[in-house]
Amino acid sequence: MPNHDHGHVDTEGSGDYTPGYYEILERSLAELLVEKGRIDANDIRREIEVLDSRNPALGARLVARAWCDAEFKKRLLANGRKACEELGITSYEDTELIVLENTESVHNLVVCTLCSCYPRAVIGLPPDWYKLKPYRARAVKEPRTLLKEFGTFIPDDMAIHVSDATAQVRYLVLPQRPIGTEDFTEEELAKLVTRDSMIGVVRLDPVQVHPGEVP
Amino acid sequence: MSAQNRDAADWLPNDLGGVATAPFERVEHPMLPWEKRCHALADVLDFRKIISTEEKRRGVEALGETTINKLSYYERWAVCFANLLFAKGVITPEELALKMAQIEARFNRSGE
Repeated sequence: MPNHDHGHVDTEGSGDYTPGYYEILERSLAELLVEKGRIDANDIRREIEVLDSRNPALGARLVARAWCDAEFKKRLLANGRKACEELGITSYEDTELIVLENTESVHNLVVCTLCSCYPRAVIGLPPDWYKLKPYRARAVKEPRTLLKEFGTFIPDDMAIHVSDATAQVRYLVLPQRPIGTEDFTEEELAKLVTRDSMIGVVRLDPVQVHPGEVP
Repeated sequence: MSAQNRDAADWLPNDLGGVATAPFERVEHPMLPWEKRCHALADVLDFRKIISTEEKRRGVEALGETTINKLSYYERWAVCFANLLFAKGVITPEELALKMAQIEARFNRSGE
Protein backbone atom coordinates (compact mmCIF):
# COMPACT_ATOMS: atom_id res chain seq x y z
CA MET A 1 0.00 0.00 0.00
CA PRO A 2 1.21 3.53 -0.67
CA ASN A 3 2.14 5.42 2.45
CA HIS A 4 0.33 8.53 3.64
CA ASP A 5 3.28 10.87 3.54
CA HIS A 6 2.71 14.08 1.67
CA GLY A 7 6.07 13.84 -0.07
CA HIS A 8 8.72 16.50 0.17
CA VAL A 9 8.08 19.73 -1.66
CA ASP A 10 10.21 19.97 -4.73
CA THR A 11 9.94 21.16 -8.27
CA GLU A 12 8.36 18.45 -10.36
CA GLY A 13 10.64 17.08 -13.01
CA SER A 14 13.79 17.93 -11.08
CA GLY A 15 14.54 14.21 -10.76
CA ASP A 16 14.06 13.58 -7.06
CA TYR A 17 10.44 14.62 -6.71
CA THR A 18 8.34 12.25 -4.62
CA PRO A 19 4.61 12.79 -4.95
CA GLY A 20 2.44 12.40 -1.87
CA TYR A 21 -0.35 9.86 -1.47
CA TYR A 22 -3.10 12.14 -2.74
CA GLU A 23 -1.12 13.26 -5.75
CA ILE A 24 -0.55 9.59 -6.64
CA LEU A 25 -4.30 9.11 -6.25
CA GLU A 26 -5.02 12.05 -8.57
CA ARG A 27 -2.54 10.82 -11.19
CA SER A 28 -3.94 7.28 -10.97
CA LEU A 29 -7.54 8.39 -11.49
CA ALA A 30 -6.60 10.48 -14.51
CA GLU A 31 -4.55 7.66 -16.08
CA LEU A 32 -7.27 5.06 -15.51
CA LEU A 33 -9.92 7.32 -17.04
CA VAL A 34 -7.74 7.83 -20.13
CA GLU A 35 -6.99 4.09 -20.40
CA LYS A 36 -10.71 3.32 -20.21
CA GLY A 37 -11.47 5.90 -22.88
CA ARG A 38 -13.71 7.90 -20.53
CA ILE A 39 -11.63 11.04 -20.98
CA ASP A 40 -9.27 12.12 -23.74
CA ALA A 41 -5.52 12.10 -23.12
CA ASN A 42 -5.41 15.85 -23.82
CA ASP A 43 -8.43 16.82 -21.70
CA ILE A 44 -6.50 17.67 -18.53
CA ARG A 45 -3.80 19.65 -20.30
CA ARG A 46 -6.41 21.62 -22.25
CA GLU A 47 -8.39 22.31 -19.08
CA ILE A 48 -5.25 23.58 -17.33
CA GLU A 49 -4.81 26.04 -20.21
CA VAL A 50 -8.39 27.20 -19.65
CA LEU A 51 -7.75 27.60 -15.90
CA ASP A 52 -4.60 29.61 -16.62
CA SER A 53 -6.49 31.91 -18.99
CA ARG A 54 -9.02 32.98 -16.32
CA ASN A 55 -7.92 35.78 -14.01
CA PRO A 56 -9.20 38.97 -12.37
CA ALA A 57 -8.18 41.08 -15.40
CA LEU A 58 -11.26 39.71 -17.21
CA GLY A 59 -13.62 40.81 -14.45
CA ALA A 60 -11.84 44.16 -14.29
CA ARG A 61 -12.62 44.72 -18.00
CA LEU A 62 -16.30 44.03 -17.34
CA VAL A 63 -16.35 46.46 -14.43
CA ALA A 64 -14.50 49.23 -16.29
CA ARG A 65 -16.80 48.84 -19.31
CA ALA A 66 -19.84 49.07 -17.04
CA TRP A 67 -18.51 52.27 -15.46
CA CYS A 68 -17.98 53.86 -18.88
CA ASP A 69 -21.01 52.57 -20.77
CA ALA A 70 -24.39 52.87 -19.06
CA GLU A 71 -26.11 50.68 -21.65
CA PHE A 72 -23.53 47.93 -21.19
CA LYS A 73 -24.00 48.17 -17.43
CA LYS A 74 -27.74 47.62 -17.86
CA ARG A 75 -27.10 44.53 -19.96
CA LEU A 76 -24.46 43.29 -17.50
CA LEU A 77 -26.84 43.59 -14.56
CA ALA A 78 -29.68 42.00 -16.56
CA ASN A 79 -27.67 38.98 -17.78
CA GLY A 80 -24.03 38.63 -16.75
CA ARG A 81 -23.38 35.66 -18.96
CA LYS A 82 -24.56 37.38 -22.15
CA ALA A 83 -22.69 40.61 -21.33
CA CYS A 84 -19.49 38.56 -20.85
CA GLU A 85 -19.94 37.16 -24.35
CA GLU A 86 -19.91 40.72 -25.73
CA LEU A 87 -16.32 41.00 -24.43
CA GLY A 88 -15.43 37.53 -25.69
CA ILE A 89 -15.49 35.98 -22.21
CA THR A 90 -17.13 32.55 -22.33
CA SER A 91 -18.79 30.94 -19.31
CA TYR A 92 -18.41 27.44 -17.98
CA GLU A 93 -21.24 25.10 -18.83
CA ASP A 94 -24.55 25.65 -17.04
CA THR A 95 -23.40 28.51 -14.81
CA GLU A 96 -25.33 31.75 -14.48
CA LEU A 97 -23.47 34.95 -13.63
CA ILE A 98 -25.33 37.48 -11.54
CA VAL A 99 -23.62 40.86 -11.23
CA LEU A 100 -24.42 42.79 -8.03
CA GLU A 101 -24.03 46.56 -8.12
CA ASN A 102 -22.60 48.41 -5.14
CA THR A 103 -24.30 51.77 -4.56
CA GLU A 104 -24.29 54.57 -1.98
CA SER A 105 -26.75 52.56 0.09
CA VAL A 106 -25.83 48.90 -0.57
CA HIS A 107 -22.57 47.00 -0.33
CA ASN A 108 -22.47 43.46 -1.77
CA LEU A 109 -20.46 40.52 -0.50
CA VAL A 110 -20.10 37.09 -2.12
CA VAL A 111 -19.60 33.79 -0.29
CA CYS A 112 -20.19 30.08 -0.79
CA THR A 113 -21.31 28.56 2.50
CA LEU A 114 -21.62 25.08 0.98
CA CYS A 115 -18.23 24.77 -0.65
CA SER A 116 -16.26 27.19 -2.82
CA CYS A 117 -18.42 28.30 -5.76
CA TYR A 118 -16.89 31.43 -7.24
CA PRO A 119 -17.18 33.46 -10.47
CA ARG A 120 -14.07 31.75 -11.80
CA ALA A 121 -14.90 32.27 -15.48
CA VAL A 122 -14.31 35.99 -14.92
CA ILE A 123 -11.81 36.15 -12.02
CA GLY A 124 -10.05 32.76 -11.93
CA LEU A 125 -9.81 30.39 -8.97
CA PRO A 126 -10.63 31.56 -5.43
CA PRO A 127 -8.03 32.39 -2.76
CA ASP A 128 -7.65 29.93 0.13
CA TRP A 129 -9.42 32.13 2.66
CA TYR A 130 -12.56 32.09 0.47
CA LYS A 131 -12.60 28.27 0.69
CA LEU A 132 -11.84 27.99 4.42
CA LYS A 133 -14.35 27.71 7.24
CA PRO A 134 -14.08 31.08 9.00
CA TYR A 135 -14.95 33.17 5.93
CA ARG A 136 -17.76 30.85 4.81
CA ALA A 137 -19.31 30.58 8.25
CA ARG A 138 -19.05 34.22 9.25
CA ALA A 139 -19.86 36.05 6.01
CA VAL A 140 -23.56 35.22 6.36
CA LYS A 141 -23.72 35.82 10.11
CA GLU A 142 -21.58 38.86 10.84
CA PRO A 143 -20.50 40.36 7.51
CA ARG A 144 -19.85 43.83 8.97
CA THR A 145 -17.43 42.49 11.56
CA LEU A 146 -15.77 40.18 9.07
CA LEU A 147 -15.28 43.03 6.58
CA LYS A 148 -13.57 45.09 9.31
CA GLU A 149 -10.98 42.32 9.47
CA PHE A 150 -10.28 43.00 5.80
CA GLY A 151 -9.83 46.66 6.71
CA THR A 152 -13.19 47.45 5.09
CA PHE A 153 -15.43 49.68 7.15
CA ILE A 154 -19.02 49.79 5.92
CA PRO A 155 -20.97 52.72 7.43
CA ASP A 156 -23.86 51.69 9.68
CA ASP A 157 -26.38 53.33 7.34
CA MET A 158 -25.18 51.24 4.38
CA ALA A 159 -26.86 47.84 3.96
CA ILE A 160 -24.72 44.76 3.33
CA HIS A 161 -26.23 42.21 0.95
CA VAL A 162 -24.59 38.80 1.21
CA SER A 163 -25.06 36.46 -1.77
CA ASP A 164 -24.42 32.73 -1.34
CA ALA A 165 -23.20 31.10 -4.56
CA THR A 166 -24.07 27.63 -5.86
CA ALA A 167 -22.74 25.34 -8.58
CA GLN A 168 -25.21 26.91 -11.05
CA VAL A 169 -25.34 30.52 -9.83
CA ARG A 170 -22.17 32.60 -9.43
CA TYR A 171 -22.02 36.19 -8.24
CA LEU A 172 -19.67 39.03 -9.12
CA VAL A 173 -19.66 42.39 -7.37
CA LEU A 174 -19.65 45.55 -9.48
CA PRO A 175 -17.74 47.93 -7.18
CA GLN A 176 -18.44 51.66 -7.09
CA ARG A 177 -16.27 53.70 -9.42
CA PRO A 178 -13.55 55.32 -7.29
CA ILE A 179 -13.77 59.03 -6.62
CA GLY A 180 -11.22 61.02 -8.60
CA THR A 181 -11.37 58.91 -11.77
CA GLU A 182 -13.66 61.14 -13.83
CA ASP A 183 -11.10 61.63 -16.62
CA PHE A 184 -9.75 58.05 -16.65
CA THR A 185 -9.98 55.94 -19.78
CA GLU A 186 -11.65 52.53 -19.66
CA GLU A 187 -8.23 50.86 -19.78
CA GLU A 188 -6.92 52.98 -16.91
CA LEU A 189 -10.03 52.22 -14.89
CA ALA A 190 -9.64 48.47 -15.43
CA LYS A 191 -6.21 48.61 -13.77
CA LEU A 192 -7.79 49.93 -10.56
CA VAL A 193 -10.22 47.01 -10.18
CA THR A 194 -8.95 44.33 -7.81
CA ARG A 195 -10.06 40.73 -7.34
CA ASP A 196 -11.08 41.38 -3.74
CA SER A 197 -13.25 44.35 -4.76
CA MET A 198 -15.18 42.00 -7.08
CA ILE A 199 -15.73 39.52 -4.21
CA GLY A 200 -16.86 42.48 -2.12
CA VAL A 201 -14.37 42.18 0.73
CA VAL A 202 -12.80 45.54 -0.08
CA ARG A 203 -13.97 48.84 -1.58
CA LEU A 204 -11.88 50.75 -4.08
CA ASP A 205 -10.05 53.73 -2.61
CA PRO A 206 -10.43 57.23 -4.03
CA VAL A 207 -7.69 58.03 -6.53
CA GLN A 208 -5.48 61.08 -5.88
CA VAL A 209 -3.38 61.19 -9.04
CA HIS A 210 -4.20 60.50 -12.67
CA PRO A 211 -1.94 57.75 -14.11
CA GLY A 212 -0.71 60.16 -16.79
CA GLU A 213 0.61 62.64 -14.20
CA VAL A 214 3.80 62.33 -12.25
CA PRO A 215 2.93 62.48 -8.56
CA MET B 1 -33.64 27.43 12.97
CA SER B 2 -32.06 30.80 13.61
CA ALA B 3 -28.42 31.28 12.74
CA GLN B 4 -27.71 32.23 16.37
CA ASN B 5 -28.80 28.83 17.64
CA ARG B 6 -27.11 26.97 14.92
CA ASP B 7 -25.38 23.85 16.11
CA ALA B 8 -22.86 22.30 13.74
CA ALA B 9 -24.17 18.83 14.65
CA ASP B 10 -27.53 19.59 13.00
CA TRP B 11 -25.97 20.35 9.63
CA LEU B 12 -23.93 18.75 6.92
CA PRO B 13 -20.24 18.89 7.83
CA ASN B 14 -19.31 21.20 4.96
CA ASP B 15 -22.41 23.44 5.06
CA LEU B 16 -20.97 26.22 7.16
CA GLY B 17 -23.14 29.32 7.12
CA GLY B 18 -23.39 30.74 10.67
CA VAL B 19 -21.35 28.05 12.42
CA ALA B 20 -18.87 29.25 15.06
CA THR B 21 -15.35 28.79 13.75
CA ALA B 22 -11.73 29.62 14.36
CA PRO B 23 -10.77 33.27 13.76
CA PHE B 24 -10.53 34.48 10.18
CA GLU B 25 -7.10 34.61 8.59
CA ARG B 26 -6.46 36.01 5.12
CA VAL B 27 -4.42 33.03 3.87
CA GLU B 28 -3.45 32.33 0.29
CA HIS B 29 -0.96 29.96 -1.31
CA PRO B 30 0.02 29.56 -4.95
CA MET B 31 -1.58 26.43 -6.36
CA LEU B 32 0.68 23.36 -6.48
CA PRO B 33 0.93 21.62 -9.87
CA TRP B 34 -0.99 18.55 -8.65
CA GLU B 35 -3.71 20.78 -7.17
CA LYS B 36 -4.18 22.48 -10.50
CA ARG B 37 -4.35 19.09 -12.25
CA CYS B 38 -6.90 17.96 -9.66
CA HIS B 39 -9.00 21.04 -10.40
CA ALA B 40 -8.67 20.40 -14.14
CA LEU B 41 -9.71 16.77 -13.54
CA ALA B 42 -12.87 17.99 -11.77
CA ASP B 43 -13.76 20.18 -14.74
CA VAL B 44 -13.07 17.35 -17.18
CA LEU B 45 -15.20 14.91 -15.14
CA ASP B 46 -17.99 17.50 -15.28
CA PHE B 47 -17.90 18.23 -19.02
CA ARG B 48 -17.45 14.53 -19.86
CA LYS B 49 -20.66 13.96 -17.83
CA ILE B 50 -18.96 11.53 -15.43
CA ILE B 51 -19.20 13.56 -12.17
CA SER B 52 -21.07 16.89 -11.99
CA THR B 53 -19.99 19.77 -9.77
CA GLU B 54 -23.00 19.19 -7.52
CA GLU B 55 -22.25 15.45 -7.23
CA LYS B 56 -18.70 16.38 -6.25
CA ARG B 57 -19.99 18.73 -3.55
CA ARG B 58 -22.24 16.03 -2.12
CA GLY B 59 -19.40 13.53 -2.44
CA VAL B 60 -17.19 15.75 -0.28
CA GLU B 61 -20.00 16.09 2.32
CA ALA B 62 -20.28 12.30 2.35
CA LEU B 63 -16.67 12.02 3.53
CA GLY B 64 -17.87 13.12 6.97
CA GLU B 65 -16.54 15.78 9.29
CA THR B 66 -13.48 13.90 10.58
CA THR B 67 -12.11 13.20 7.11
CA ILE B 68 -13.04 16.65 5.81
CA ASN B 69 -11.14 18.31 8.64
CA LYS B 70 -8.11 16.07 8.19
CA LEU B 71 -7.68 16.55 4.44
CA SER B 72 -6.73 19.63 2.46
CA TYR B 73 -9.12 21.09 -0.11
CA TYR B 74 -7.85 19.11 -3.13
CA GLU B 75 -7.12 15.97 -1.10
CA ARG B 76 -10.87 15.87 -0.35
CA TRP B 77 -11.65 16.17 -4.04
CA ALA B 78 -9.29 13.33 -4.99
CA VAL B 79 -10.78 10.98 -2.38
CA CYS B 80 -14.32 12.00 -3.35
CA PHE B 81 -13.61 11.29 -7.04
CA ALA B 82 -12.33 7.82 -6.18
CA ASN B 83 -15.44 7.05 -4.11
CA LEU B 84 -17.81 8.31 -6.81
CA LEU B 85 -15.97 6.48 -9.60
CA PHE B 86 -16.23 3.23 -7.57
CA ALA B 87 -19.94 3.85 -6.89
CA LYS B 88 -20.60 4.51 -10.58
CA GLY B 89 -18.67 1.41 -11.60
CA VAL B 90 -16.26 3.43 -13.73
CA ILE B 91 -13.23 1.97 -11.95
CA THR B 92 -12.76 -0.72 -9.32
CA PRO B 93 -10.79 -0.44 -6.07
CA GLU B 94 -8.47 -3.20 -7.34
CA GLU B 95 -7.66 -1.28 -10.53
CA LEU B 96 -6.94 1.84 -8.51
CA ALA B 97 -4.68 0.04 -6.01
CA LEU B 98 -2.72 -1.50 -8.87
CA LYS B 99 -2.38 1.81 -10.71
CA MET B 100 -1.26 3.64 -7.56
CA ALA B 101 1.41 1.02 -6.91
CA GLN B 102 2.61 1.36 -10.53
CA ILE B 103 2.83 5.14 -10.34
CA GLU B 104 4.61 5.04 -7.00
CA ALA B 105 7.11 2.55 -8.40
CA ARG B 106 7.66 4.78 -11.43
CA PHE B 107 8.64 7.71 -9.17
CA ASN B 108 10.81 5.57 -6.93
CA ARG B 109 12.76 4.30 -9.93
CA SER B 110 13.28 7.76 -11.43
CA GLY B 111 14.37 9.12 -8.05
CA GLU B 112 17.22 6.65 -7.63
